[in-house]
Amino acid sequence: MDESAAMNEPILAVDNITKAFPAGATPILNGLTFRQEPGQFVAVVGPSGCGKTTLLRCIASLMQPDTGSVLHRGRHFDNPPPWLSVVFQDYNRSLFPWLSVRRNVAFGLRGSGADDKRVDEALRAVNLEHAADLYPWQVSGGMQQRCALARSIVVSPNLLLLDEPFASVDAQTRIDLQDMVMEICQTMSLSALLVTHDIDEAVFMADKVVVLSTRPARVVEEIAIDLPRPRDQLATKETPEFLHLRHRVYTLVRKQAQKSSR
Amino acid sequence: MTAKGRHIAPLAWQAATILALVAVWQWAALTYPAVYLPPIERIARGYIQLWHGELLHSALLPSLRRLGLGFAIAILAGCVTGVVLGSLRSLDPWVRPTIEYLRYIPAVAILPASLILFGATDQMRIFVIAFGSVFPVLIAATDGARRVDPILLDVARAVGLSTAERLVRVVLPASLPSIFSGMRVALSIALVMMVISELIAADDGLGFYILRNQRLFQTANVYAGVLTIGTVGLGLTLALLAVEKRVLSWHRGWRGLTETGRG
Repeated sequence: MDESAAMNEPILAVDNITKAFPAGATPILNGLTFRQEPGQFVAVVGPSGCGKTTLLRCIASLMQPDTGSVLHRGRHFDNPPPWLSVVFQDYNRSLFPWLSVRRNVAFGLRGSGADDKRVDEALRAVNLEHAADLYPWQVSGGMQQRCALARSIVVSPNLLLLDEPFASVDAQTRIDLQDMVMEICQTMSLSALLVTHDIDEAVFMADKVVVLSTRPARVVEEIAIDLPRPRDQLATKETPEFLHLRHRVYTLVRKQAQKSSR
Repeated sequence: MTAKGRHIAPLAWQAATILALVAVWQWAALTYPAVYLPPIERIARGYIQLWHGELLHSALLPSLRRLGLGFAIAILAGCVTGVVLGSLRSLDPWVRPTIEYLRYIPAVAILPASLILFGATDQMRIFVIAFGSVFPVLIAATDGARRVDPILLDVARAVGLSTAERLVRVVLPASLPSIFSGMRVALSIALVMMVISELIAADDGLGFYILRNQRLFQTANVYAGVLTIGTVGLGLTLALLAVEKRVLSWHRGWRGLTETGRG
C-alpha cells in the first residue's frame, strides 16, 4: 500500500469486535464498531464497568479481540503501532518510580539519551521543565499526569489513547489538564481517543462521542459534536448547543445504566 | 536527653562492654596461662599480620576473591533466573519444582560431591559459595518480578520495548528492592560457605589459616582469624547496605509516600 492510500484510511477502524476475558467467559465487548478519521478527537463514554478499558486495550493492540478487527490506517498490528501512544488511567502506577520525571518522559523514546531536545520540548509542552529532575512521587498528582502525557507525546504520535486520564485528580487540575490536552492535540494535529465516564468532559473535548451500551458493550450511538474550536471551559459550556448535546448523551448513558441495574 | 545523647549513650555502653571484656580476658590470660587463653597482644599481633604482607596474600585476599566471585555468580544467576521465572509464569511448572527441591539442600551437603567433581580447586570453593547463596537471590528476584505492576509492563509494550528489554528495563529495576533483601541473606550464607570450603583440602584462605593454626596450637592466631572473618562480614554488609541505599534511594521515598498515603 502506498503512502497516499494509507493517509486516506481512517486512523482507526474498529470493526465488529468481540472479546471475552478470560476466554470463554461472558463477552465484555460484543460486535463493537466505529471509525476515527485522522485529526479527529473521539470520546468513548458508557456506564461504569461496561468494558471501556478492555476496549482501549484492544484498540492499543495490547490485547487482540476474539473476533472482528482493529485496523490502524488499514493495517492490523500484533503490538502497539509506533505512532500510537497511551496515557493510562492510574498515573501513579504508570510512571516508573525509579526514574526522574525527565527520564520517564525519555522512556517514551525508549530512553535513547540522544533525543534530549525532544524530551525538553515535551516537558515544555506540559509545563514540567522545572520538575524534570524530581522523581514522579515527589510531585503532585496533576504533575504526574502531565509527566505521563509528556511521555506519550514525546514520540510525536498520530493517535493518542487516553484511558480516563483525569479520573483521579481534583476538579481544578482536571479542567487545566483538559485544556492542555486539547491544545496539544490541536498544535500537534493529533488524533485522540478519550475513554471516560464523564459526559461533560466527553462532549466538551470531542468531535464525536461514541456511546457504549452496558456489558457486553456495543456502540449504541455515535453523536457528532460540532461545537466550534477553540473551546472555552465557560463560554462553550454555556451555549445551548453544548447543553443540548450534553442532554442527549446523558440520556443515552443513563438509559444504559438503568438497564444494567435492573 | 538530647537527640545526640540518645545515639551516643548506647555506643558508649557498647565500647565500655567491649573494653571490660578485653580487660577480663587479659586478666584471666595473665593469671591462669592456658593454651586456649592467649593474651590480647598476641591476638592483636595475629590480627594485624593478617591485613598486610605475606598473610594478606595467602589468607585474606584468596578468601575475598572466592567470596567475591561466588557471590557475584550467585547474584547474576539469581537475578537472571528469578526475573525470567517471575515474568514468564508459564515457565513455572517446568522449573519451579526442581528449584524448590534444590534450595532445601544445605550447601554444606554438596561439599564432598563438589570436591569429587572439581577437585581441591578454587572452582570447587567458588561453586559451593555460589550454590549456597544463589537461592535467596533467586527467590527474592522471582518474587519481586511477580509483583511488578502490570500497568508498567503495558507502558513498556506501548512504547515498543521487546520482551527482553522489558525484563531489563522494567522488571529488573522494579524487583531490585526485593533482590537487595535477598542479597543481604545471601551474603551471610556466602561468608559461611567461604569459610567451610576452605576447611577442606585447602592451602590458602582464612579458613585454612584458622585450621592450620589450630593444628599448631597457635591459639592467638585462631582467634585473630575468627575476628578477621567477623570484620570481613561486617565490612561487606556495610558496603552492601551503602550500595543499596544509593541504588534504592527512589524506593524509600516512594514507599514512604505510598504508605503514608494508605495510612
